[in-house]
Amino acid sequence: MSDLTTEQVGALAAALGLPVTLDDLAEVTHRLNALIEALEPLAELPLDTVEPVPGLGEPPGS
Amino acid sequence: MTAEGADRAFLSARRIAALVREREVSPVEITRLYLERIERLDARLRAYITVVPEAALETARRAETAVMRGAPLGPLHGVPYAVKDQFDTAGVRTTSGSRILEDHVPTEDATTISRLNAAGGILLGKLNLTEFALGGTQQFPFGQPRNPWNLDHDPGGSSSGSGIAVAAGLCAASLGEDTGGSVRSPASFCGVVGLRPTWSRVSRHGSFPLSWSMDTPGPLARTVEDTAWLLQAIAGYDAKDPLSSRAPVPEYARTLGDGVRGLRIGIVRELTFGPETDAEVREAVIGAARCLERLGAVTEEVSLPLVPFAGAVFMALADSDGAGVHHRWLRTRAGDYDQGTRRRLLTASLIPAAIQQRAARVRALLRAEMRAALARHDLLLCPTAHQAAPPIAAARGAITGRHEVAGRFFTRRSYVTPAALAGLPAIAVPCGFTGSGLPLSLQLIGRHFEEATVLRAAHAYERGSEWSRRRPPATT
Repeated sequence: MSDLTTEQVGALAAALGLPVTLDDLAEVTHRLNALIEALEPLAELPLDTVEPVPGLGEPPGS
Repeated sequence: MTAEGADRAFLSARRIAALVREREVSPVEITRLYLERIERLDARLRAYITVVPEAALETARRAETAVMRGAPLGPLHGVPYAVKDQFDTAGVRTTSGSRILEDHVPTEDATTISRLNAAGGILLGKLNLTEFALGGTQQFPFGQPRNPWNLDHDPGGSSSGSGIAVAAGLCAASLGEDTGGSVRSPASFCGVVGLRPTWSRVSRHGSFPLSWSMDTPGPLARTVEDTAWLLQAIAGYDAKDPLSSRAPVPEYARTLGDGVRGLRIGIVRELTFGPETDAEVREAVIGAARCLERLGAVTEEVSLPLVPFAGAVFMALADSDGAGVHHRWLRTRAGDYDQGTRRRLLTASLIPAAIQQRAARVRALLRAEMRAALARHDLLLCPTAHQAAPPIAAARGAITGRHEVAGRFFTRRSYVTPAALAGLPAIAVPCGFTGSGLPLSLQLIGRHFEEATVLRAAHAYERGSEWSRRRPPATT
């Protein structure tokens, strides 16, 4: 996934009705790109058959 | 302050309860002692947001009357405690560390508060935290909390005040909330004990939410025994939290002294020997493992390849939950948030669904990885943090590039979030000091609902070491 630009991030925030100042925008873009980059290597894992549930209610001792 | 007064301020909660029961210490006297210390020391430490001296003394007077009357006494009778300002307290403002809630006064106690009061605790006040328990606050609305071991250093978060107050003798014990390390991190940086119970072991009712699948109230104290007694008081099903567990609550104190002989402990390779772990931390944690071996435990290295990703996975999931909680205020009151909080929540609001789904699937794999390791071992062992408390200034200022983000947010969270993502109980216990005098911390992670094993091993280690006896310099 290529880096998001400040323009794209600003447009996405505006579409959600979130007021992002110019000062906030640069940092929010850095943070979002960093998170996406950090999770990128995990796309190589065999995730298709893994259900994305948080696993609540695990029994005692497990 | 007399030496005897200072000594009493650092008594364990259980010792205070015993002295009260034996009429050796008056609840009013010990409450006054802590109130005096808060008045004298907290202007620098900023552990408290709100102190309730009149209410505390009134409760203490009632506690004293009960003692003198020979009434039945709870296990924490006469013990002055304090709580993170994330927990509702009837008639006492509850800010969650934010200007947005600076005038919020709940009408009902959180279930944990009701239970601590029912056990005989005396509430001293509400403790400072990073805004809305998120972490990354740049300007604390109610004052910068400071580490009592070195005032220029971070006390950890988000339950910052809960760690400071216990370490500095400003209460006998405290309650924090651990979504992704928020009890264990301040315990680690402040040199006290902090327990994250199994998710659902303790009711979340009346606690301001961050992530519904990870929020877990947990105690901080100066001894493992105290954390066991506080857990005993707050654990168990609560109809007001439908997701709280109906699993029976054992008597934690009964097995606390059983030792570690024969326990199998896996040393998590990636967190203990990984390149991000400071040498002093590694040395202290390996020293703790050797101590547990001498006490009869069997240790071996175990590899959990996904844990280095846990910090980023956690932020993709917990922050998304938080963005949902804050969506309305983000749209209408964005300027009332601290800059760091606002930018973190705005970022979380924009995480693509595919990324969030990937994180949720990796969480399931990580959970399976940890469950498999805990099928072969009774406990997992690793550092609580990759370093001792950093300078407050290190986390200040705007982020100017995405490479700063990993260092500031993901790395340190990868040490505490694996247990959170898997819903497992975990404890932070002091295990040494850096050359510059900052505390270091050992983390022990157990199976679901096996807090008793976690506490038992931590207690054995604590008795086999002397780290908990030191006091920070900013407390006299």
